[in-house]
Amino acid sequence: MAQLQARFFTENHKYVVDDVPFSIPAASEIADLSNIINKLLQAKHEDHKYVEFDFLVKGQFLRMSLVKHMEAENISTEEVVEIEYVEKYTAPQPEECMFHDDWISSIEATEEWILTGSYDQTSRIWSLEGKSIMTIAGHTEVVKDVAWVKKDSLSCLLLSASLDQTILLWEWNVERNKVKALHCCRGHAGSVDSIAVDCTRTKFCSGSWDKMLKIWSAVPTDEEDEIEEAANRPRKKQKIEQLGLTRTPIATLSGHTEAISSVLWSDAEEICSASWDHSIKIWDVETGGLKSTLTGNKVFNSISYSPLCRRLASGSTDRHIRLWDPRTKDGSLVLLSLTSHTGWVTSVKWSPTHEQQLISGSLDNVVKIWDTRSCKAPLYDLAAHEDKVLCVEWTEAGLLLSGGADNKLYSYRYSATTSDVGA
Amino acid sequence: MERAGGSRRLSIPSTQVLEEQAQESDDLTDSEESLYSGLEDSGSDSSSEEEAEDQDSSDEGTLKGSSLSKKAQAGVASQKKERVRCQRLEAESMPGAQQGLPRRDEYEEDSSDEEDVRNTVGNIPMEWYQDYPHVGYDLDGKRIYKPIRTKDELDKFLDQMENPDYWRTVQDKLTGVDVRLTDEQVELVQRLQKGQFGDVHLNPYEPAVDFFSSQVMIHPVTNRPADKRSFIPSLLEKEKVSKLVHAIKMGWIKPRRPKEDTPSYYDLWAQEDPNSILGRHKMHVPAPKLRLPGHEESYNPPPEYLLSEEEKLAWEQQEAAERKLNFLPQQYRCLRAVPAYARFIHERFERCLDLYLCPRQRKMRVNVDPEDLIPKLPKPRDLQPFPTTQALVYRGHSGLVRCLSISPSGQWLVSGSDDGTVRFWEVSSARCMKTLPVEGVVKSVAWNPNPAVCLVAVAVEQSVLLVNPGLGDKLLYGATDQLMEAYEPPEEERLQPVTWAVAAGAEHSRGVRLIIRHGKPVKQVTWHPRGDYLASVLADDGHTQVLIHQASKRWSQSPFRRSKGQVQCVLFHPLRPFFFVATQRYVRLYNLLKQELAKKLLTNCKWVSSMAVHPAGDNLICGSYDSKLAWFDLDLSTKPYRVLRHHKKALRSVAFHKHYPLCASGSDDGSVIVCHGMVYNDLLQNPLIVPVKVLKGHAPARDLGVLDVLFHPSQPWLFSSGADATIRLFA
Repeated sequence: MAQLQARFFTENHKYVVDDVPFSIPAASEIADLSNIINKLLQAKHEDHKYVEFDFLVKGQFLRMSLVKHMEAENISTEEVVEIEYVEKYTAPQPEECMFHDDWISSIEATEEWILTGSYDQTSRIWSLEGKSIMTIAGHTEVVKDVAWVKKDSLSCLLLSASLDQTILLWEWNVERNKVKALHCCRGHAGSVDSIAVDCTRTKFCSGSWDKMLKIWSAVPTDEEDEIEEAANRPRKKQKIEQLGLTRTPIATLSGHTEAISSVLWSDAEEICSASWDHSIKIWDVETGGLKSTLTGNKVFNSISYSPLCRRLASGSTDRHIRLWDPRTKDGSLVLLSLTSHTGWVTSVKWSPTHEQQLISGSLDNVVKIWDTRSCKAPLYDLAAHEDKVLCVEWTEAGLLLSGGADNKLYSYRYSATTSDVGA
Repeated sequence: MERAGGSRRLSIPSTQVLEEQAQESDDLTDSEESLYSGLEDSGSDSSSEEEAEDQDSSDEGTLKGSSLSKKAQAGVASQKKERVRCQRLEAESMPGAQQGLPRRDEYEEDSSDEEDVRNTVGNIPMEWYQDYPHVGYDLDGKRIYKPIRTKDELDKFLDQMENPDYWRTVQDKLTGVDVRLTDEQVELVQRLQKGQFGDVHLNPYEPAVDFFSSQVMIHPVTNRPADKRSFIPSLLEKEKVSKLVHAIKMGWIKPRRPKEDTPSYYDLWAQEDPNSILGRHKMHVPAPKLRLPGHEESYNPPPEYLLSEEEKLAWEQQEAAERKLNFLPQQYRCLRAVPAYARFIHERFERCLDLYLCPRQRKMRVNVDPEDLIPKLPKPRDLQPFPTTQALVYRGHSGLVRCLSISPSGQWLVSGSDDGTVRFWEVSSARCMKTLPVEGVVKSVAWNPNPAVCLVAVAVEQSVLLVNPGLGDKLLYGATDQLMEAYEPPEEERLQPVTWAVAAGAEHSRGVRLIIRHGKPVKQVTWHPRGDYLASVLADDGHTQVLIHQASKRWSQSPFRRSKGQVQCVLFHPLRPFFFVATQRYVRLYNLLKQELAKKLLTNCKWVSSMAVHPAGDNLICGSYDSKLAWFDLDLSTKPYRVLRHHKKALRSVAFHKHYPLCASGSDDGSVIVCHGMVYNDLLQNPLIVPVKVLKGHAPARDLGVLDVLFHPSQPWLFSSGADATIRLFA
């Protein structure tokens, strides 16, 4: 059997081995390499316990035998191979399953609560343990997106966007467990598909099917904004819909030629919006102008931005998750595509704590955890859903959430190993 | 006189002998004498001495007429007689005649004066004297009597028998006497009979002297001195030369063009393609090769090549054609002992036959790769985007889904099913947003193409429902409702083929706004692109198969007076006021403004099932139940520009995309075929049709597969509804 010269190294001081080249069988797989490292460590420390490792060759995760991987990556087998090893990420542990009455369209979670929007026209607040705390009803149509504005121990502000063209700003009194609609944000002429709150928690933006991107104030006031109602609007309907004070947008950004499917704040003054017109546009909030456009060739379903690696991840109406650099000017350059799904990617979310990991949900009923160092195969597949996955969420506490058309919200505990993050 | 005689001799024929007798006695008499000139032999010889006698007379300057007397011989045969004319030249008439030049009488030959003086009757037929005893008169005027007794036949016979000279006796007709020819005369006759000259001494074959020979002689032929003009320059020539010089100077005469020294031959094979199959040296067919002799043909073959006895026996028993060897290997002691080869002639003959019958023509094998015959089409990969994979399945119906339609924005999808419901779906999530129960099978749905109106026409049984789905912009569907309510009926009721009814109660709350009740089952409903008019097709045989309704005025009319066959489907032209009506075999295009038939398309199909028009309006596709898809270029012809037979079963539905160059056809075999159908703005370029994808997903049920196909208005997505109660989105 062919042998390869390999040198092992790691960033984790706990598991350092001697920096000498080893001759290892070319056909070794992860388990074999892991055994070698563990034996070396046992020789060094008597009290070493067996640890599963993952291996990276030139920044790519090893997912097959070493020689095949090097062949695929075009790495010469003549020289000494530098193999980095990291502690293997433990599989996410399923925690709770929360049952809804209808499809779950959106999730947003804080450290304590989970806010979900559902197709039954309500939003719900759940505890992390899976207990339903509050059901917020008020929309006359499907709730498409939800967002937390402010989280306090006493009262929380939250938003829900709906197909009925409005966004409602709610105040939730935690102690008394009461919700009150503070404002009804009117102005969109189509279903509001996506909302995002900025980092100062005073503004939020919304993207709608009517191709408009609107910026609103998230600060509750007691005044009602003047609204120019269409004269022919039926009176009685207006009465029914009157829920909270009417609020009008601060600014409207138009430029997309098709529906906006996803919006986010990538910076304090920068909005990214993904649209059905195959483009991601980056807007300057201050001037209200378009900064740059990233052009793809498929409809975008969802985008996510990681401030850690400063990249956009997009899920579109094909099987791929694409990574973009939003700082490139008017480019269409895809940095990387992660391909393993078999259906449309409906939702992507970067890990808030790990710069290389993200989670994605797809129409093929599977949620996948990705490491950008392994673009062909995900780290883990979470195949609990029985129908389309519509939304995913990754909290800072390491909780993975996914909701779908099977009316279930699954939560997983996933320790994005601190050992690697520290490095 | 001697000179004169010499020169005269030159002027007369050589055979004729002229005798001149100048007799002094005759000079004075000046009489003319005709003398016999018979056949003379020696007459010429005597002339010289006679001429010498009158030498003095000729000195006087006059040549006296001389009469030649000959030694005439009487009895010479008249037909052989040469009459020599004697000339008489009169001195008075020719006073200036030169001494040295001979005078020649030009009438010498045809004078009638020369008469036979023995008989003066002249040149008359002697038969005239037949009855007379005489035959003429002599010079003295006396009768010349015939011989006493004319001979009768007996006398002649006797004469013939007895007279030994009979054969040389001739009768002189002039005198009637018999003349016996002399030996000389007989000889002359014989010579003439043989074709020889009369003169014995004449040699006709004198050696010829080549006077102007090819040899250049040192002496001139003539002794004449050269003229003076031969030595002085010619004025005429000088004039000619100066004219030529002038012409050359003036450029009228061009110097002679130098002769081109290009070869006059050409390369016969210059044009030949060196790579051509039929080129020179390519057709060479080598003669079939002879087999080389082997060991068994040796005079002393190795023993293993020799046949054993049994083998020999077997060889002999075999047919000559079946033998492996056509001879028996034999061993000889030495080469000297080898006999003559018995089969030599035979083998040479066979070899010649081989060469002669060898095919001299090379068979051209047409080496065509079947791949080359397929027209070059672009690869489907280069024609992206088009739907490739199934993305979403819209589940909810319980019966086969007959029809589909999509909102102009592309957000909502409406479907009608056999389960008696109309369902409204959110496109992006496959969520059924609304379900509208109706009484009966939904045959056709059509979303109003006007983006400012939110209305869906639904064909159920015998009525068409106009439904406000209440989806999308609230303002929009609110405005639509207001528009409906704002209708004021006209003052006088007009006669209409249908009845319009306003929905109320539960139906109104479900969204139904208007009900157009037809008397017959409605097969299809379609909107005009502006969204005010809609057309419905009835399952009827009469002339009211097609009705056009105006939704805003609630007014219906039947556009056709006569039925042209069973109408399958109708379609409004997207841009111009045209109306397509598909019957079983034809598609008729009516101009709605002029109210006339504009075009009649021959589909070549047995039964048209569906049609769709290109958004630019110049191309139409027709699906038929005999599994054909016909593409018409309306500008090109009334016959299909292309017919595609890719489906295995009947086509149920065809569709064009609004923006992308895509068309699709759904069939009973459960598949949808997506074609790239590029229509160019350039009128000269024909549409490019490339089948790019077969989309499968629907499970055939009850022999039905895909019932309707539909493109998303903005994305390259395709919806298909099937008999398996699902709608599928391919992206």
